[in-house]
Amino acid sequence: MGGYMHIAVLAKVVPDYEVPAGDFELSDNRAHSRYTRMMGLYDENAIETGVQLKEKYSASLTIISYGAEDDIPVLRKAIAMGAEKLVLVTGQSDDASVIAANLKMAIDNLGDVDLILAGQQSADMDRGVVHGTLAEMLGLTFIPQVSKIESENGGWKISQLTETGSRDLQFNGKGVFSITSIPENVPRIPAVRAIFAAKKKPVEKVAEVESNAMGIEEVSVEIPTMDSVCEFLPVEDVGETVKTLLTKLREERYL
Amino acid sequence: MKTLIVEIIEPKRLGELVTVSKEFCDTPDIVALGAGDVPGVYNKAWQTEETISANLVPAIAELIQKEEYQVVLFSASTVGAGLAGPVAAKLSASVVSEVIGIEPDLVVRRPMYGGKAVATYKITATPAILTIRRKYFEPAELEGTTAAETLTIAEPLVSLIAEKQEKSEGVPLEDAEVVVSGGRGMGGPDNFSMLQEMAEILKGAVGASRGAVDEGWAAPTLQIGQTGKIVAPGVYFAVGISGASQHLAGIANAKCVVAINKDEEANIFKRARFGIIADYKKIMPALNNVLREE
Repeated sequence: MGGYMHIAVLAKVVPDYEVPAGDFELSDNRAHSRYTRMMGLYDENAIETGVQLKEKYSASLTIISYGAEDDIPVLRKAIAMGAEKLVLVTGQSDDASVIAANLKMAIDNLGDVDLILAGQQSADMDRGVVHGTLAEMLGLTFIPQVSKIESENGGWKISQLTETGSRDLQFNGKGVFSITSIPENVPRIPAVRAIFAAKKKPVEKVAEVESNAMGIEEVSVEIPTMDSVCEFLPVEDVGETVKTLLTKLREERYL
Repeated sequence: MKTLIVEIIEPKRLGELVTVSKEFCDTPDIVALGAGDVPGVYNKAWQTEETISANLVPAIAELIQKEEYQVVLFSASTVGAGLAGPVAAKLSASVVSEVIGIEPDLVVRRPMYGGKAVATYKITATPAILTIRRKYFEPAELEGTTAAETLTIAEPLVSLIAEKQEKSEGVPLEDAEVVVSGGRGMGGPDNFSMLQEMAEILKGAVGASRGAVDEGWAAPTLQIGQTGKIVAPGVYFAVGISGASQHLAGIANAKCVVAINKDEEANIFKRARFGIIADYKKIMPALNNVLREE
């Protein structure tokens, strides 16, 4: 790295992902516009990881997003958490290939990025495809579900969470890592002063480039109905409650 | 349609992908990852012990191109997530991840908005790469084995230094018929022992919500939900779990959900078959007492 490291974190602003299913509605196959906009949850883990690396290695940290200008105030939270710079490519495609091509353009413009971090998956499309696609477009190594990163002898030592445990990996060169959540990268809450300072930081806006979409047509988006009717058990006598529960579970052959 | 499965040698995962492949062809081809025999019958089989996705991307993309596969199936797993995007970009292929439903003519369904919505897509260009969400398709029984040719991998970019298996006692979470799961409402790591006790008596397994994992109360391998494990037990006990849609996405196929929660407004009661509105600290010891006496 030659003592200087530039980290880019990809962040996406999404409709409130904590809206319960019962209150959720669509308009034109997308979440209704009345929901609060916020940073995706894994994206915040990625930003936190980026800020920690910045602090550890005196790196510089740029946030890159593809989306709407209206979301700039939300993206400024990443600056308040510790990033220096924000680049927004303005566009509104949901196609993974189009998004990746535009993020590539922004990264190419920066020129000197050593490491690109992204959330494991966005909190609206639930897809986990954009970062891997981007990595290949950039000709870089992609590693998903990364929990820890260390810079070591000009390369990277990485922990990856798997279905059965974790793996320690090592590689030299530039990479794109998708970040999963662990207790150590729960996002920090920025100080009020940092939030005010972030409001003054310039945002670089870049126009979208033309690129090919994938051969996928969206036919419909629907909200599935949850038709479970819950039978509430009385709790006056806890001993009776649990006996009733076990009897019912056995009667209906669930247990 | 000419179909390729790429998966770690693990009968259930392979079985699910074989089931899915029947939507597209009679007998698929396979790239089996890992050592040992390749279970099941395939037209053509390749094998490599390499399981790091970054190292597999070039060889798999080349094979898809050379053999002209129209459909490529991965599990929605660490390996599948590492392969899907890069392989798709290399081949300008279409990719749909986390598929939960398949209809004729390359129409596929997948969740959106943390499982609150389901989108249906028609794939109009091949090759199409699909990652299949676990536990949504019944695994096919794999009889016999297929002799495999070695898949040649170029000089690996990423090297494996160490692999740590999270130690799990008893039944694996994804195979358990009873899952006892704890969330943020547990309030701390200590009381997970109550869940463990119940799981042991019922020969089940302990799970956790993302909230409990983020707090460090449970190992990440125990996380259930759209970005954790997908389970489909007979009974799922949700203890102190609010029931965010991202969590419910992991238990969509659980036959019976029992919710124990202090908050009667908790979303989990909308998914539950039986609900107990109470402090779990009262209910769980009582449940364990009765079960132990039996």
